[in-house]
Amino acid sequence: MNGRRQFMAILRKDLIRELRTREMIISMILFVLLAMVIFHYAFSVKEDADLTYFTGGMLWVTFIFAMLLGLNRSFAQEKDERCLDGLLLCPVDRVTIFLAKTAGNLIFLLIIQVVAVPVFTLFFVSRSYVGDLPQFLVVLLLADLGICALGTLLATISMSTRSRDLLLPIIFLPLIVPVLIAATGATTLIFAEGAGFGDLLARVLFLLGFDAIFMVAAYGTYDFAIGE
Amino acid sequence: MKQLVSAPMLFVGAGIFLIVGLLLAFLYAPIDASTMGYSQKIFFYHAPIAETALVAFGVAFVAAILYLRSQDPKWDRLGVVCVRLGLLFSALVMATGMIWGKAAWGTWWDWEPRLTTFLLVCFLYVAYFVLRSVVEEEERRATFAAVFAIIAFIDVPITFFATRFLPAGMHPTVITTSGTGMPGSMFVSFFISMIGMTLLLVALIRRDLGVEELKDRVADLKNSIGG
Amino acid sequence: MSDPADRRDGATSLEIEVAGLRKTFGRREVLKGLSFSLERGGFLSIFGPNGAGKTTTLRVLATLLTAGAGTVRVAGHDVRDDPMPVRRTIGLISHNPMLYLDLTAHENLRFYADMYGVDDREARITELLERLELSHRRHDVVRTYSKGMRQRLAIARAILHRPRVLLLDEPHSGLDPRAVDILDGLLAEIRDEHTFVMVTHNIAKGLDWGTDLMIIEAGRIVYEHAAGVDHASFSAVYREHVHDGSVL
Repeated sequence: MNGRRQFMAILRKDLIRELRTREMIISMILFVLLAMVIFHYAFSVKEDADLTYFTGGMLWVTFIFAMLLGLNRSFAQEKDERCLDGLLLCPVDRVTIFLAKTAGNLIFLLIIQVVAVPVFTLFFVSRSYVGDLPQFLVVLLLADLGICALGTLLATISMSTRSRDLLLPIIFLPLIVPVLIAATGATTLIFAEGAGFGDLLARVLFLLGFDAIFMVAAYGTYDFAIGE
Repeated sequence: MKQLVSAPMLFVGAGIFLIVGLLLAFLYAPIDASTMGYSQKIFFYHAPIAETALVAFGVAFVAAILYLRSQDPKWDRLGVVCVRLGLLFSALVMATGMIWGKAAWGTWWDWEPRLTTFLLVCFLYVAYFVLRSVVEEEERRATFAAVFAIIAFIDVPITFFATRFLPAGMHPTVITTSGTGMPGSMFVSFFISMIGMTLLLVALIRRDLGVEELKDRVADLKNSIGG
Repeated sequence: MSDPADRRDGATSLEIEVAGLRKTFGRREVLKGLSFSLERGGFLSIFGPNGAGKTTTLRVLATLLTAGAGTVRVAGHDVRDDPMPVRRTIGLISHNPMLYLDLTAHENLRFYADMYGVDDREARITELLERLELSHRRHDVVRTYSKGMRQRLAIARAILHRPRVLLLDEPHSGLDPRAVDILDGLLAEIRDEHTFVMVTHNIAKGLDWGTDLMIIEAGRIVYEHAAGVDHASFSAVYREHVHDGSVL
């Protein structure tokens, strides 16, 4: 039927729900801020230590763990009151559900990044990277897309299992390591030394390829992941 | 394939190739000229084991696709058997790799791309079994496992690429024994070990598949008598 | 009422055709070859003990489960090969309301209207909320609703897209008497517009509504009859076929 209308309907419903309860966003943002404090004490091993080189890694570790919190929530509500059945009864292409859920998770991740990136920068990064902001945003968006697409696919599977939120990190983390490597490398270069698109080319292309490959893989398997 | 060679013959064949490969490695292939010397001989098993592990995961990948297309439980059984064997071989890759690392560089562990990839591969496919263990309903378990086996296998080369070319530090430690510079005698020994190891995999897959089928039959029988 | 494109089934007046339906969960065969059909406008009441396969049958009709073997057609469309038109044709009311508790009644209905591509969305939502006496609470989140109100809203959700076939899975279970009255009133109101399949433990209700009666026991149809059986003789038949004695 009308895929765009269905896509918007699912996205709209998830956003309304989250804006009303705020349970996901608030806990994700608090988690990010707490992680910052914890990282500060974990890594300040000597006085006036410069953590600029570590900030990229801290950020991406934080984002991935925060996303784990969010992914579990985003599907828990579908399972409550059997809403998933209601969704599956609709004449909707399952891939539309995947795309809408991915988009919703991407929006939530971007919201916490809007808070986290300036704060981490303020506390940890000793030089200004304003000139490299466009590159940084490209890396951020590409890595986010990979995290959300793969995360949505795996959260769909884990929500239908007995252990639900316990399973997700175990199946998600080993798969997402390549994104972590590429995103952390690029972010560290940008924060610590400054890097143009040329320096980041390999990593940007890698992230682009990762996103493309797993979008296709999710497209092919999502029917099976979401149930019979 | 089933009746072409009997199962014991496959094991015997694998054994012959592996022993011949080993003998050739020590008696025929040249001793490594650099610092490694005899310790480099482990390569003749290490690399074929790694190759075999990847073959096993590859077969699991194909079985997963076939399962999703047909919903036939036999492909799920093949998938489980292959992932389990692949995991076993991956553990051996790690072990032999670490022994080699200790001999060559004096350290048990180095964040070398291939070893790191296999470490992650181990985590990935252990997760495959964790996933299977938390889904009760059989069709659903097989379906989820198949989806995960597909995603996981796609991730293996991506992980290797990322660990090989993208680390922030940029001091890639590459083991230079494989690839172009391999002398003929070395290649022959290596190749024979590889055939032996692959035959061993096929033999093990067949044996395990038989065990899994029996398990299913037992469960069916138990079920039919209301056990 | 319904989409003109869906009215081309002139060849047959059968709304539901099931032939040789089998379904296994793991090693347990839950449905062992069911065959039945239902005329357009009919009302099929399915009885049977817990675990007999009633709900499984309904979920196969609803495209939520795939059949292991056999063919199932709803409104002329095969549920496995061609599920999308089937999904447009059916509405499901079960004891799970399938509503988002943190959304309002209006937001819930709006969501489902968009999912089904209902063209006159706002008018249809207003009409249904009035009919189900929920207009005054339309902007309250569903979490604050009573069980009966949720069930009424669930009915609105199920008939929102004007389905030709309504599947009811124990719709009376867990309702207070007042809510049962409302549900029955509603069923009476929409009875002429739909074909119904109802799975129920409630023999009185099933006999009241049914034009076709069926008892399923251990995955098989053990009794089929047209309506017009009185309660006492049907109870006797039920006891004769179903030995667990848990119901009634």
